[in-house]
Amino acid sequence: MDLVQSVILVFLPLYLVAIILYLIRAIKGPTIGDQVLAIDSMTYDLAALLIVLGLFFKEPILIVTAIPLALWIYSLDIYIAKYLDRGEMGG
Amino acid sequence: MVSIITEIIIYLGLALIGLGALADLIASIGMHRFKNFYLRLHATTVGTIWGAVFPIIGASIIAFVYEPLGQYRFLMGGAGLVTALIIMLLAPAGSHAIARAVHRAGIAKVVPCVHDELNPEMCGEKQ
Repeated sequence: MDLVQSVILVFLPLYLVAIILYLIRAIKGPTIGDQVLAIDSMTYDLAALLIVLGLFFKEPILIVTAIPLALWIYSLDIYIAKYLDRGEMGG
Repeated sequence: MVSIITEIIIYLGLALIGLGALADLIASIGMHRFKNFYLRLHATTVGTIWGAVFPIIGASIIAFVYEPLGQYRFLMGGAGLVTALIIMLLAPAGSHAIARAVHRAGIAKVVPCVHDELNPEMCGEKQ
């Protein structure tokens, strides 16, 4: 285990604790806006965590999973915003 | 000479990854400490820009010079920089869209409120 792996191993629990705290807020959020914000942050952090895990396991192909996560969560934002604004989906 | 530059890039990338981990933890605590929706927008943007864009840039610049990744390391670095650019463009746009929609739909009241010109009924009590 070289320098990069051992330093990443120190920082991995911080990402996991952050994701768990975001998940608690996403489950119990008072309004739908809080839930969407929590899922938003959680997914961007999951994308960052996947890239860092790609360095940790020496698997460069894990980078492919990050871009669809970023695009998917933006589409969730736009769909929820449009649904709250006009009361309809799609289009 | 090349190995010194490689060492500097690896330390810089590890520092960015650690900064991102700390910012993620601070933002996730802030999601629980802030009182209502409009204040939690601040924690969300801390968690996306400081907590996602910076560690991805750090991991990408490590991947360019990190030999054990094999021949696909340039793919990882380039795609990582593209991902960081995409997140930096899309996260503020999504946050603004959801904030505007929640305010127009009247879901969450603006609680530390002095004056709300868009919709005066949405103004909660002052604190």
